[in-house]
Amino acid sequence: MNVVITPGMLGQVVISGILSGALYAMVALGLALIFGVMRVINIAHGPFLMLGAYATFVLHQALGLDPYLTLPASMLLLFALGALLQRTLVFRVVDAPELSSLLLTFGISISLVNLAQLGFTSDLRAIEYITGSWPLGPFALSKARTIAFGVALALTGAAFLVLGRTRLGKAIRATSQNRDVALACGINVQGIHLLTFGFAAALAGAGGTLLSVIVAIQPDMGQIWTFKSFLVIVLGGAGNYPGALVGGLLLGLIEQLSSLFLTAQLSEVIAYLLLVVVLLVRPTGLLGGRQV
Amino acid sequence: MSRRAGFLAALAAAAALLAVYPSVASGYGVRAGLQLFMWIALAGSWNIISGLTGYVSFGHVAFFGAGAYAAGILVVKSGWPWLPASLAGGVAACLLALVIGYPCLRLKGPYFAIAMLGLNEVVRALVSYFEGLTGGGNGLSLPTLDAAIPVYYVMGLTAAAVVALTYFVITSRFGLRLMTIREDEVAAEAMGIDTARHKLYAFLLSAVGPGIAGGLAARDQGYIEPVSVFPLATTITMIVMVLFGGKGTVWGPVLGAVVLFVFQELVWARFIYLHQLFFGAIIIAVVLLMPRGVLGLLQIRYRLPRTI
Repeated sequence: MNVVITPGMLGQVVISGILSGALYAMVALGLALIFGVMRVINIAHGPFLMLGAYATFVLHQALGLDPYLTLPASMLLLFALGALLQRTLVFRVVDAPELSSLLLTFGISISLVNLAQLGFTSDLRAIEYITGSWPLGPFALSKARTIAFGVALALTGAAFLVLGRTRLGKAIRATSQNRDVALACGINVQGIHLLTFGFAAALAGAGGTLLSVIVAIQPDMGQIWTFKSFLVIVLGGAGNYPGALVGGLLLGLIEQLSSLFLTAQLSEVIAYLLLVVVLLVRPTGLLGGRQV
Repeated sequence: MSRRAGFLAALAAAAALLAVYPSVASGYGVRAGLQLFMWIALAGSWNIISGLTGYVSFGHVAFFGAGAYAAGILVVKSGWPWLPASLAGGVAACLLALVIGYPCLRLKGPYFAIAMLGLNEVVRALVSYFEGLTGGGNGLSLPTLDAAIPVYYVMGLTAAAVVALTYFVITSRFGLRLMTIREDEVAAEAMGIDTARHKLYAFLLSAVGPGIAGGLAARDQGYIEPVSVFPLATTITMIVMVLFGGKGTVWGPVLGAVVLFVFQELVWARFIYLHQLFFGAIIIAVVLLMPRGVLGLLQIRYRLPRTI
């Protein structure tokens, strides 16, 4: 492994890291919202992303739709699925011990993955839609990844606007700070839980759509995203929503840099070590604090 | 007391039957018995950390795989006999648990569960990376040896040891402290329990069994590769067995392992995805409808002691 690393390569890797970071941030924001509002870690978050990718695949194959145009459909579908699961199953464990909610969403996750196996088989599916890259000075920007970056950033920005500037966002933040007080203030806490879960699933679905033109689609593609999203939250600080953006960019950079300096095989190991070290040294996240 | 004596007599009879079983069983029968023992050991071990402390381990198969690889490497590269190599597999799994458990169990909350969710991927990546030692994706072939019957006995002893360990933990002050942590960790701390240390001890105990079982399974199969010793399905199966049988009990995991293993062998082996889907549904149903599992229902119905 005596490859000379030039500044050009380093720059390219930093760009790739930032590009994938926005996607991580968007998907992780969904997980962070569910955790913040309901204190539930949604193990099925990655499988939601997988379903979003299949939604795009099916709409593209069956109706010949442009993959990017399926984004609203995929988000709407996942919103409906998330809301349905919240209303039928998840709401029962919101106040239960952590063990119950972890196991319940784990059960949902297994069921979704295996339903996808039954429905779509485990064949790798790919959407060949947009390839090649745009030149940017000495660097190359992969078209699909750049579009994913732009859309993810826009959606994350929109989510922050909703959270920060609207009455709904205020209600979500209030519920996440203190549910009982929110209830006393006349906020429909059950409704907020439902909306948040659907909203979070929609963000994962959007991630699936954006990924569907980048990587191969298969039923097992999602699970690692639950872990990565959580890693993003830990890096950014749990309960600190803007932290998701920082955490996402950080994870993207770390993964890319470790595949440059070590090997791509170890990039997940490095990310994992980072989780362990952060938990040891700074369990409140790199940004610290809970500023909802 | 007579009920207890009857139970012990039944237990002794079952043990005697299982001990003479290999002399009358076919090769397939011995293999099936061995696998049942393996599931009892795995489910019982998962129960020690997750059933007693409430900290969910989503990556317990990593200890099974770590044990399999440690034993496999010792047999192939250093020429160890399979028995000490399998025990060393248990030690290796314990070390891995120490590395993960020390940082993650100091904290309350979901950090441990998520760290375990990622652990499997990481160990698998490490196995692929250290190709020289582990054979990477090509796997590791152990020298051929017909040891199914001795492995059957050792696996049976491992399963019995895990059940006995669970019994001693549940009936001890240590076990009471673990269950206090499960019910209310803040209260446990306020009572002066060193929660981080107790959780870590429980976690270490829960890693040994899968490590030894992994080493024995490696010897039995004669060939290990990342896909065969780190499947997510193994973690799912042990979780389902414990939840179904009754978490936090001595015999719940055994009950779950026996029922679901027989079911799996007879009915579901042909429908792999449907089988997994069914497991997902069992987890959801048990969590929502009968969190104490089958044994928990029986305990309430027949007023059985808590320590079974």
